[in-house]
Amino acid sequence: MFDSVSFVAMNSALDGLSLRQRTIADNVANIQTPGFLAGKVTFEDALRSAVNDGTGAATGTTTRSLAPTREDGNNVDLETETLLNIETNLRYQVATQAVSGHFSSLRTAMKSS
Amino acid sequence: MGTFDAIGIAGSGMTVYQTWINAISDNLANVNTVRSTSEEAFRARYVVASSVEYGTPAGTQVSSIELGDAEGRLVYEPDNPLADTEGYVRYPDIDMTSQMTHLIMAQRGYQANAAVVDRAKETYQAALQIGRS
Repeated sequence: MFDSVSFVAMNSALDGLSLRQRTIADNVANIQTPGFLAGKVTFEDALRSAVNDGTGAATGTTTRSLAPTREDGNNVDLETETLLNIETNLRYQVATQAVSGHFSSLRTAMKSS
Repeated sequence: MGTFDAIGIAGSGMTVYQTWINAISDNLANVNTVRSTSEEAFRARYVVASSVEYGTPAGTQVSSIELGDAEGRLVYEPDNPLADTEGYVRYPDIDMTSQMTHLIMAQRGYQANAAVVDRAKETYQAALQIGRS
């Protein structure tokens, strides 16, 4: 019930998006730190193949951006981070609604009979 | 990994920018601080930030405060009570233009981090709604 592929996959998505949100916060906090390279979180591909394999469990990985740096050795781009932050926030809300929907189906199933 | 990390990380950015703004206000407040030539001039404060490396991602921090030029500039003001026998006093060598530019940079940095706190808060509120029908 709580280890179905869809439920585990939704949890993985929430974890991945949450990690991305934290990484964006870190990037913006360090937007003028000399030598700081922006962090990027990827979990979608891992999640897709995990769902195909029938597990749904995937963790996000953080890599450092290889984008060209400014003269202070920093490559955080505020526009990119802001857009990604808004998108991540909205996707997180979609995922929470999916989890809530899952729980409300379970609640319906438990009530009937 | 803490529960509400994104807010804390953006908060660390706000702290650094606040420190920077404080340093700039100090520099601007002392832009006309006169000293006698036997003392060193008021030295401008420069905030040095570095990313926090224990645990990732962990935010930013003020790693040190660097001090500007102690030499300053000598100004001929024979009427000044602090003037030496030749009539000179020492003013700090603070460039007003660069201080104002830094002030704008620090203010925008602070605002960017405050926006991240807002969005992180929305995300966490969504998380708290899970399971409520």
